[in-house]
Amino acid sequence: MQPVEGAVIAAAGLGSRLGLGMPKCMLEIEGTTVLSRLIAVLEKHVPSIHVVVGYREELIIDHCARFHRNVVIVRNPEFRTTNTAASMTCGARGLRRKVLFLDGDLLISEASIANFVTKAQESDVLLGVTRAKSEQAVFVQTSCNPQQPLSANGFTRELAQPYEWANVVAGPPDLVASADGFVYEALIPLLPLPAAMLDLCEIDTPSDLKQAESFVRTI
Amino acid sequence: MKTLYCFDLDGTITTTEVLPCIASEMGIADEMATLTRITMEGLISFEDSLRLRCLLIGQVPIDRVHSIIAAIPLDPAIANFIRRHPEECFVVTGNLDVWIGPLVSQLGCRTFSSKAQFGEERLKLVHVLNKGRVIADLRGAEAAVRIVAIGDGANDVPMLAAADIGIAFGGVHSPTPAATSAAHYVVHDGNTLCNLLKAL
Repeated sequence: MQPVEGAVIAAAGLGSRLGLGMPKCMLEIEGTTVLSRLIAVLEKHVPSIHVVVGYREELIIDHCARFHRNVVIVRNPEFRTTNTAASMTCGARGLRRKVLFLDGDLLISEASIANFVTKAQESDVLLGVTRAKSEQAVFVQTSCNPQQPLSANGFTRELAQPYEWANVVAGPPDLVASADGFVYEALIPLLPLPAAMLDLCEIDTPSDLKQAESFVRTI
Repeated sequence: MKTLYCFDLDGTITTTEVLPCIASEMGIADEMATLTRITMEGLISFEDSLRLRCLLIGQVPIDRVHSIIAAIPLDPAIANFIRRHPEECFVVTGNLDVWIGPLVSQLGCRTFSSKAQFGEERLKLVHVLNKGRVIADLRGAEAAVRIVAIGDGANDVPMLAAADIGIAFGGVHSPTPAATSAAHYVVHDGNTLCNLLKAL
């Protein structure tokens, strides 16, 4: 049993598919930024929060100075040439035990985060999955026995599955340090992994944005 | 490996800037605020700014300066961290030894500061601290050491850049863009800072 020591929110990326000219986590959904929503659900369940910044870092730093003075901002000046996994690993510096890694463009229901953080205590690594719904999903192949706890056996972009990779994972601080490309690729050698369901919505494309607006009304 | 912590004083350990407090007692708050702002932004060199501040505040009797400085509040979490680790912590300040002596003696750690002497007519600046040099000296004095630096202004940049881990601290006001650019972390709260220091 090892409780989650801290959360690392990766918010350094360009968010180029939305073409907003600002980090995706600074998007306001119903008057509150995605980042503020994420911090609000996390701070009730994890002792410390690290936010990794890069692209237009001044926007996020100012936002945290005004509204979230208790978070640690970790700078990744190499954000243009490094991937999300590198940002996450950089963000986990100063955390020694179990870390919850999340993308900064997620809207998550508090109940499912609470459940995930509780379950994360029980295994070295816990993989977050969600019901498949996004346009460019990375599907997760899961064990089909409904009597057993959910287990992830593989990732696929081609074969549609009921679940997709949620861009949330709990594990040791160096969990994704070896990833050359996408975060989930660092997890492939560790499969099969225990998984837990998250009720969330990711914002990658303009159509995700519309979905996100209706999602926040449901949580 | 041993870790050393180097803290800026004004606006990092103290919850207000020291010299503007004295200036407001003298009725030159606006002038000092302008000088502080352009110094923090790096528009004039720290050394030039210190000479001007020396000229302005050097006219105040030293006892008066000390009593004003003694009343300046410290960030409780940071002051507590330093008092608990007096051997590993250092105050690294461009401020003058003759002014801040009584304030830093409350903390019980060693201090690197700029130096001044009282001449016949006025206070004379004799040494302006280069904060980057302090880091190099500390590294030279002990073989295997890791240095964490915490500061907010343009004159902290050499210290933040030379340290193994630089933290831009925005407890009083946002760190200057130059300090942020030289840092690995940005933190806005004393407790959050000290929790990070303990974990690093």
